[in-house]
Amino acid sequence: MEVYSKFLAENVLAEDKVVTYRLLSCALHVHVNTAKQMLYDFHKTQNEKRAGAVHATYLIYGVKQHVELASASHNGGDGDVEMTSSMPDVDSVDDDVVPTFTLSIVAEEGLEDALAEYDEVSAIHVYSVGPRPTKDFALLADVATDVLSLGAQDDYNEHAPISNPRMHRRERQVASAKAKTTTAPTHVKPKQEPKQEPSRLFPVKPAPAPAPAKTVAEAQAVKPDVETPEKTSSSAPSKKPAPTLKRGGSTNSSIMQAFSKATTKVKKAETSQPATPSGDESSLQPMSDDGEDDTEIPQPRARVVSGRKSKTEREEELRRMMEEDDDGDEDEEEKAESLDEEPEEPEEEASAPEPTQDEPTEVATTSGDGRRRGKRRITKKKQIMDDQGYLVTIQEQGWESFSEDEAPVQPIASKPKTASSAPPAPAAKPKKSGPKGSQGSIMSFFSKK
Amino acid sequence: MVTLDEIANAGLLQKPSGTVPKVLERSESQYKPLTSFNLGKDLQYQQQFADIYFLRLTKIKPAVEEIASVAWDGTIIGGETAKKVERVLDVRQGELCWVTGTVYMDMALKPNILEDVSKDRWISAPSVDRYYSEDGKDSVMLEDDSGRIQLVGDVLKHFFMVTGCIIAVMGTENANGEFDVIDVKFADLAPQPGRWELSKPPAPVPKPAKKGRRVKDEDEDVEMADSPSSKPGTKIAIVSGLEFSGVDTSYAMELNLLLEFLLGEALDPAAQKEMAQISRLIIAGNSIAAERKGFGESTGGDKKSGKKYGYDSSTYNPLPSQLLDGFLSELLPTIPITLLPGVLDPANASYPQQPIHAAMFPKSRSYVAMPGATEPGWLDTVTNPWEGEIEGWRVLGTGGQNLDDVFKYVDSDDRLGMMEAMCRWRCSAPTAPDTLWAYPFQDDEPFVMKECPHLYFVGCQPEFGTKVIQGPDGQMVRLIAVPSFSATRELVLVDSETLDVTRIKIAV
Repeated sequence: MEVYSKFLAENVLAEDKVVTYRLLSCALHVHVNTAKQMLYDFHKTQNEKRAGAVHATYLIYGVKQHVELASASHNGGDGDVEMTSSMPDVDSVDDDVVPTFTLSIVAEEGLEDALAEYDEVSAIHVYSVGPRPTKDFALLADVATDVLSLGAQDDYNEHAPISNPRMHRRERQVASAKAKTTTAPTHVKPKQEPKQEPSRLFPVKPAPAPAPAKTVAEAQAVKPDVETPEKTSSSAPSKKPAPTLKRGGSTNSSIMQAFSKATTKVKKAETSQPATPSGDESSLQPMSDDGEDDTEIPQPRARVVSGRKSKTEREEELRRMMEEDDDGDEDEEEKAESLDEEPEEPEEEASAPEPTQDEPTEVATTSGDGRRRGKRRITKKKQIMDDQGYLVTIQEQGWESFSEDEAPVQPIASKPKTASSAPPAPAAKPKKSGPKGSQGSIMSFFSKK
Repeated sequence: MVTLDEIANAGLLQKPSGTVPKVLERSESQYKPLTSFNLGKDLQYQQQFADIYFLRLTKIKPAVEEIASVAWDGTIIGGETAKKVERVLDVRQGELCWVTGTVYMDMALKPNILEDVSKDRWISAPSVDRYYSEDGKDSVMLEDDSGRIQLVGDVLKHFFMVTGCIIAVMGTENANGEFDVIDVKFADLAPQPGRWELSKPPAPVPKPAKKGRRVKDEDEDVEMADSPSSKPGTKIAIVSGLEFSGVDTSYAMELNLLLEFLLGEALDPAAQKEMAQISRLIIAGNSIAAERKGFGESTGGDKKSGKKYGYDSSTYNPLPSQLLDGFLSELLPTIPITLLPGVLDPANASYPQQPIHAAMFPKSRSYVAMPGATEPGWLDTVTNPWEGEIEGWRVLGTGGQNLDDVFKYVDSDDRLGMMEAMCRWRCSAPTAPDTLWAYPFQDDEPFVMKECPHLYFVGCQPEFGTKVIQGPDGQMVRLIAVPSFSATRELVLVDSETLDVTRIKIAV
């Protein structure tokens, strides 16, 4: 018994499914035309064994008899007398009937009638076989959706009957802040020059091009063989999990931090990396004694914030994932990196000069009851009158404490703004916050800043 | 009439032979989109719309006057010689004369912005099916920057008249101050560029323009184009109104067959060879279905959900755009696509509609050209109306709003005739900005057809139609009314050598 007969017998006879030629082609990796013949053969042999065992639908393509067609294509031919006065020689060159081909799908039972409507059939083949007569063709549409999902998984396009060598697509741009963590994958991605590669080698969804919607974690998962980020990202979280157990709320940020470190290392390797903000020249900050909180601060991006929102189960899962990853950690390297990270920090947080941005960074602690308290950095507008009597609006960075109750309004939009430059003055501030944030008192909630 | 016996043992109705069919290669077509309708980034909406009319009149008036003077100079009616009058206000009572100006239709049912403003209505009135009324109260006016005069006369009934078209009229002003029209002239077709004006033909130079267009034989056997050496004309597929919907699945199967057809997966090797000739797909508007949701429903939902920021899955259904994206991304590996927005698509509502943003297509967007790239993208999301050159032919296409709006002015079903009229008016959207929303242009009036296209298609029409019109200088224009796929299940193939049209129906 051939492979396809087995496959069809399983699906059609045993599992009661409808199989189209596309599904068959996709599942068995055969050319669509071969799949059509397979369906035909299966249909024939099964019905020879037992009449009516399987039912087919046919796809017919050809010219139907001109009955209703003439009227439609003529609809402009005679109504245009209006314009002819200015154009007396307008003739009806094209009033002959437009050749019309009809593609129709018919069930086995109606095949004869359908064929009778055709003047000429230029192509016919079995479209699908199913265990019972097909009444509702919408069912076939469902099968098509299956094909789509199947096709998404593997190299389905290898069996596309028509290829186009001129197909070109653009390379993914290394979007600055957003693609930070995916920088390395982008580099590893093969150059997609048009014309150099036949299109068939490029399926619709090639894995190496990470979709922009992908989260960082996903991007990492997709490219486990990328060396640079992999190594460092696995080393980074090794230190993290322990603290995160204490400070449950900020687990995710620690994961993000791991990635950010990876990027930093990449940056060290090649400073020309466009994705990494060039924060090196900004003043070196003194390392604060609380390294943990420090490293958290430079993660004001939306992803982190949104991660914070997620439930503890997800955090657990993520943590487990990260713990799986890390083995043989190099603590020294990590410490060195956290040093390295310092210069980047002012860039990140100060670079959002918009007064509306209320949460460029925050420091949070989790108390026993699962509530999270902390402080966040806000930018306040202050209007003062200067010595010449002019009103001057200045922006001041300040701290505001919060607890979990006031759901942090996460400005997702704040992410892209990190590109802009900003005064490095407030850079030193977050240092002090570390110790303070760790012991949030209820009073700090009421105290006015 | 075909019987079962005739098709028995046809190519694919037999056992698999074990030979692997060879992969066909899709033909190529030269493609050069123009940016005639692209708006700049710094859009201002402060200015008035009057400039559009002024620019249009300035641009088209010379052509109309030229034609009119050829036709009417020295015309003597009732012992009086017709003479040209520069401005509408200069028309003197009782004198036979001719004058050029912009048509303004005064119709009771036509939406009127002044009325909206005076009655303090701040939302646009619901769109109506038609502007004309049967009681005969509609009046036609001719205006220019000097003034306005009412046109009367039976001859007007023989022409399509819509607001914004530029015409010349000959006649006299009667005692009521109305202009009694004896004859009407238009600008007629604009000069037509030669073929391959903007792009270069591929190596073997094809037949020169115009002569390439043969009168097509009735039963041209397109699917038998199996001689690979002599390059048969490639095909351009045009489809509109795909209307991917999140709720209505009644034509999901047809969409699916369309996909298989264009991919060349359906049908047998001979037909697949023919499908491989389709070198480009143009989607002319309305790719995403309108949300058919009652007002009450949506407001009720809003109240329940209360305040919600950002994405709200209860009020937004992403399925249609996902389906479209999936459709495009399936097709794109093998066929380049030009995508025009339509009235239902996620683009700006006013003409010219700007390209649908690539962010709508997470899967397909890697095929879209980089911002600022000079080469057109493999998936080219373009404006509506759109102008370009395909295989050397100048192509003008719209998503259908311009024709639909003209249609409301005229008591006729002859949409092809209206398309022809637009070509002869030299204006692809005459009713903008009066009843067709449009951007208030200041420096340019892009709707004026400076050059006559070879192929003019209008998408999202109720039914298929095509014809060829000719101009005084030998211009030939292929007009195609592209039917809405969701309603008719039809697509149109245009031969890129002869501009002949083939119609494909998909019946389930």
